Amino acid sequence: MKFYLCIDDTDNLDSIGTGTIAEQIREKLVARGYGPCSLVTRHQLYIHEDIPYTSHNSSMCFCGEAPASALADIIEIASGHLDAVAAEGSDPGLCVLEFDAERDYQELIAFGKNAKKKILTKADAISCAQNNRLHLSEHGGTGQGIIGALAGVGLRIFGSDGEVKAGMKNIEINQHYRVSELKELPELTRVLELRTKEPLDDAVEVEVCGRTKTVLYRHEYVLFVVRSAAGIYQTINKSEIRRMGEYFYEQ
Amino acid sequence: MNSKKTLPADAWERGQAIALACAAFEQDVEEEWVAQEPVSCYNCRYRRFTAAAILCMKSRFPENPK
Repeated sequence: MKFYLCIDDTDNLDSIGTGTIAEQIREKLVARGYGPCSLVTRHQLYIHEDIPYTSHNSSMCFCGEAPASALADIIEIASGHLDAVAAEGSDPGLCVLEFDAERDYQELIAFGKNAKKKILTKADAISCAQNNRLHLSEHGGTGQGIIGALAGVGLRIFGSDGEVKAGMKNIEINQHYRVSELKELPELTRVLELRTKEPLDDAVEVEVCGRTKTVLYRHEYVLFVVRSAAGIYQTINKSEIRRMGEYFYEQ
Repeated sequence: MNSKKTLPADAWERGQAIALACAAFEQDVEEEWVAQEPVSCYNCRYRRFTAAAILCMKSRFPENPK
């Protein structure tokens, strides 16, 4: 079976990040013999003063393969890890979905999209979880993290939202790379021109202009680049990618 | 930062200058960096994003007197 797992609200200002905890859970699942598992993606949710996020309101999600009988074990491993490492004062939530390719997940995807633009409640999340037969659990504090955890699964299933965690960390800034070289990175499957969404040929060179990230776009890890007036393909800074986040999923 | 301890969403140079002079600056985890400059208010653990700005929350954590 294919599963999706997402966590949210596990950190405080002194703790390790939610993304690192997601990676630790993934490592535990792989050590148990499950997998392969995907990279972790970070899903930006609504920024609003009435939402009690630590500093940026994002959730962390990955998917993987496991035997059909493993769902309860996956939930137990993830829950145990969250209970052990979630930070004091945090409000952790866990969502695990056994994916059914025959099922319509439009309500879940809509929940994820809505969590990017309006305030949702725990009751909203519980209702959506029941309708879609997925696991949703609170792990301390107010348990408010179930909202982001559920939204992250919806957005990951949607397939066009989220930055790849730790992506492009080992790429040197102000260097040129051929597309074929970039595609050797696990966090990158395609290089697309931002305006046309056309893929670049393997032989084309890309100038890495600053810190950048690959993003989940149409279920692939994509590096977006722009063509300069001089005809050079250049990466987009991370701050610009964050700004674009709100309309990637509308296309 | 101003008297309300806020910076607009993209005041990159000011964010770097303030952070370089700030004894309380503490780098957030890498996936939450936004600014190109590693030492910047935009990459600090004590910043909180709002709709159009960042807000310094250090005053709420006086127990961390870095």
